[in-house]
Amino acid sequence: MSASPDIPGRPTGREPSNFREFLSALGEPILYLTRTFRELIEMFGLTLYYMARGRTRWRAIFEQLHEVGNRSVIFVAVTLGFLGMILIYQAGYQAEQITGDLQLLGGLFLQLLLREFAPTITAMMIATRVATGMAAQIGSMVVTEQVDALQMCAAPPVDYLVVPRFIATTIMMIVLTIFAVLVSYSAGALTALFSFGLNVRTFIDLSFIGWFDLILCLSKALAYGMAVPIIACHAGLNVSGGSEGVGRATTNAVVNASLAVVILDFIITSLGYVALSLLPS
Amino acid sequence: MHRLATTLQAPFHWLGQTAMSWSFNAGGLALLTFQVLRNLLPWRWQFDGPETWRNLYRVGVKSFPIVVVTAVLVGAIMVIQSGLYIEQYGAYGLLGWGAGYSILREVGPILIGLMFSGRVGANNTAELGTMKVTDQVDALRALAIDPIGYLVMPRFIAMILMMFLLVVIGNFTALIGGAITSQVLLDVNMVLFFQSVIAYVLLDDLLHGLIKAVAFGFAIAIISCHFGLSTSGGAVGVGRAVNASVVGSAIAIFVLDYAITFASL
Repeated sequence: MSASPDIPGRPTGREPSNFREFLSALGEPILYLTRTFRELIEMFGLTLYYMARGRTRWRAIFEQLHEVGNRSVIFVAVTLGFLGMILIYQAGYQAEQITGDLQLLGGLFLQLLLREFAPTITAMMIATRVATGMAAQIGSMVVTEQVDALQMCAAPPVDYLVVPRFIATTIMMIVLTIFAVLVSYSAGALTALFSFGLNVRTFIDLSFIGWFDLILCLSKALAYGMAVPIIACHAGLNVSGGSEGVGRATTNAVVNASLAVVILDFIITSLGYVALSLLPS
Repeated sequence: MHRLATTLQAPFHWLGQTAMSWSFNAGGLALLTFQVLRNLLPWRWQFDGPETWRNLYRVGVKSFPIVVVTAVLVGAIMVIQSGLYIEQYGAYGLLGWGAGYSILREVGPILIGLMFSGRVGANNTAELGTMKVTDQVDALRALAIDPIGYLVMPRFIAMILMMFLLVVIGNFTALIGGAITSQVLLDVNMVLFFQSVIAYVLLDDLLHGLIKAVAFGFAIAIISCHFGLSTSGGAVGVGRAVNASVVGSAIAIFVLDYAITFASL
């Protein structure tokens, strides 16, 4: 899509016509999209294959767990804390204006947080912080020919570089999503207390959430956690053209990863809605 | 013994380094903001015209598809999420209000801002960073061309203007995406959806979102230019600068969003 690199026009050998140019302008993004999609699927399959067949590199996985998890904690806490404050402020203001009844605020907020905001915004944050880091790191390894050196040593890059990142991000996305729910909910409770004088005990209301919300939340986190590292590593491994290429790869990584989060969010939310309407309530 | 001393020093070393980098970035951001605002003064009005047009095209037109795709999906998701509550209470007339209010005020500007910072901000930092590590910025200075007027101002103007316009377009497409979803998935008539949007969504909500859009554009422009122009250390440094730029932009977006929400209610 907009992530497509500027592809110079191919020499066709014939005079270019307007119609031909129109067709190529139409076809190139489509070709680029299908090719990228196929490569991502291939890389996902290879990752699963090496996970099943290869030996587990605990050291590399722990390094990545630290990089993805521990070093994102503050960032996720700051952004999701502010998100909780903003949402409660807006919703509380509206509820006060319309009904004057703030009893339901906490319960409905927790439900919405689990269903939508905690997994999606956490994944967008991980996509900005971790995906750019991964793409930049792997990209500079490619530019300095370290990946070729790995391949010479019979260490396939997917096995050696992608698998630990994939495992670590998948685990940490779930952990960070749960952490995000806690942070965001506490920030919301404090805002409700200080801005509207709503008791924290009234705010903490678990009666609205059920298994459905928890499953939706965790399945979203799982899907994002698998998609983001694959997209970031794909962008990093396909770097060409020196230091400019690394910059382009990091941009591609963050855009494609965020876009994947939004698209997966749409798919899982609609599936969840269909499942909920089929379930006997 | 020496090893023990090094281990004991490590946290202090880390603390000092973090404090230094924070003050460096805070000072750099403040300085850049000051320089940009000074260049905007009427008697010092100074920026490169053709470069600005080029940036307007690159920032706006090239981000158009991704903003439209994001906005349509966001509208659809918001309608599904509020649809669950609407169905519980049977208040179908409020669907447009629920989706429109949340899209125009919060979710639209935040998500489009995050996408914009990923697409445009990261690209900008990478570009300026590459120019910096290949000494092109110093070359400009050597030619007596002001990097602020030539590199920063066009990007600054383009980002603020285009963020504003993209949020306008994004809001509109999000509402269309929401209307289609309500028709297809929830069986709520599209006309009812739009009637509800027109009846309950106020001009205030739209303006609130647009003020946020301008503030986010300002923050993304300053932060991405600062981290780009202070890059050092080759290809690895460019990657690190892009990472710092998107992280800083995301934090700025949420903090500014809170500040504007708090100030305007």
